[in-house]
Amino acid sequence: MSMRTFLTMAAGASALMAVVVATPAFADDGKLEELKAQGFARVAIANEPPFTAVAADGKVSGAAPDVAREVFKRLGVADIVASISEYGAMIPGLQAGRHDVITAGLFMKPERCAAVVYSEPILCDAEAFALKKGNPLKLQSYKDIADNPDAKIGAPGGGTEEKLALEAGVPRDRVIVVPDGQSGLKMLQDGRIDVYSLPVLSINDLVSKASDPNIEVVAPVVGAPVYCDGAAFRKGDEALRDAFDVELAKMKQSGDFAKIIEPYGFSAAAAMSTSREKLCAAQ
Amino acid sequence: MEWDWNFVWQIMPTLLEGLKITILATVLGAAVAAAVGLVFAILRMTAPKPIAKVTGFIVEFIRGTPLLVQLYFIFYVLPDIGIRLPALLAGVIGLGLHYGTYAAEVYRAGIENVPRGQWEAAKATNLTGRQAWIHVILPQAIPPMIPALANYLIAMFKETPLLSAITVLELMNQAKSVANSSYRYIEPMTLVGIFFLIMSLISVVFLRWLEERYARVEER
Repeated sequence: MSMRTFLTMAAGASALMAVVVATPAFADDGKLEELKAQGFARVAIANEPPFTAVAADGKVSGAAPDVAREVFKRLGVADIVASISEYGAMIPGLQAGRHDVITAGLFMKPERCAAVVYSEPILCDAEAFALKKGNPLKLQSYKDIADNPDAKIGAPGGGTEEKLALEAGVPRDRVIVVPDGQSGLKMLQDGRIDVYSLPVLSINDLVSKASDPNIEVVAPVVGAPVYCDGAAFRKGDEALRDAFDVELAKMKQSGDFAKIIEPYGFSAAAAMSTSREKLCAAQ
Repeated sequence: MEWDWNFVWQIMPTLLEGLKITILATVLGAAVAAAVGLVFAILRMTAPKPIAKVTGFIVEFIRGTPLLVQLYFIFYVLPDIGIRLPALLAGVIGLGLHYGTYAAEVYRAGIENVPRGQWEAAKATNLTGRQAWIHVILPQAIPPMIPALANYLIAMFKETPLLSAITVLELMNQAKSVANSSYRYIEPMTLVGIFFLIMSLISVVFLRWLEERYARVEER
């Protein structure tokens, strides 16, 4: 390709981008009306039970999508359509308009609160480690991993655990980005990583499914806070978020909320005892 | 959405780190492919029939399955039988084997394209088998191979992002991890594209030069 054609294409691409950017954002109330007319909301999920799960027949379940499905139903949006995404790709995907909302156990952290608008808390969980039986490297916290030059940790790319490990001082080359739960478990069994870190309920689900006597769980991880997720909306969709919050609060009041999430092992009381403001301000 | 130069400079060192791994994987992969391809080609052409048949089958098998599947197999399945390779090594072997089978076909075509009369002439002038290969056959067989091999080299270079699937922290994976923590794709992905473009353009120039150089030998 000659330089000239390249430049022409680049110019074309930037012109296109300018058009996209210049398109005015949807009017606030319009978003909900649009979803109602369309009949479904597009949600991003991660296939990490019990937060989000996709059955073999393609049916989407898990605590987060179930809550969202119910709330949207009450708002007059008949159903949700889910697409599986990496954690790191969810917020950019939301910003790019590929999803209407993220319902994936994407924990509230200040930098995420700055990038999206969260609903009130929905699912709360602490962090956990899966590791070899007997915990040979004696790992109890992310700091322990940082201090042991031989310890390698696996975590989902762009997930909370990856960031916690990096923040605790584990160098980049010992934080292995693992594409999904099954690969993480396999890498742990094969000895490619020493620890696989996910939220407590996810690890328990994974380990119980694997039923491998050589794997054990450390939960909760020492020093790691309890996080809560919320449904994450695009900036500009605050009206939709507020409508979502109203229905969510009603469900929390009536006990319907607990009925949905407690069978999955989540605590409704934990989600109700905290708020978005507290979680977004937490460091 | 706007382009942020500060962010570009901030992520550049991380991406260059990834570029190093990408280039390393390509160079090592190409070396493996060149060697493996030669072995396959020779086995297929000169080994006793059963061995040649088996080699032919293996080559067709590897050529006919996707590289990504092979990488998963090498990385996730081989440990079950006790072979645990580091991610980068697994990636280099995957690339090398896969492109080795393509290279084997190129070698074979190049050698078979030398007219039979050349072999007979070599024999008639009392050259040994070794002399015939080195002085008669290969000098005529290699130049036509170069453009095809060069194409495969560039194709392989552009396929290295597949290694991110087996946790190799190459350019694409670094860019993804940058995007994961910054929620921005535009700068990292644009830079990845530009890096690949620059490297491909440089290799194209280099390979043109190689081609011309060898073509001239032939004209002599």
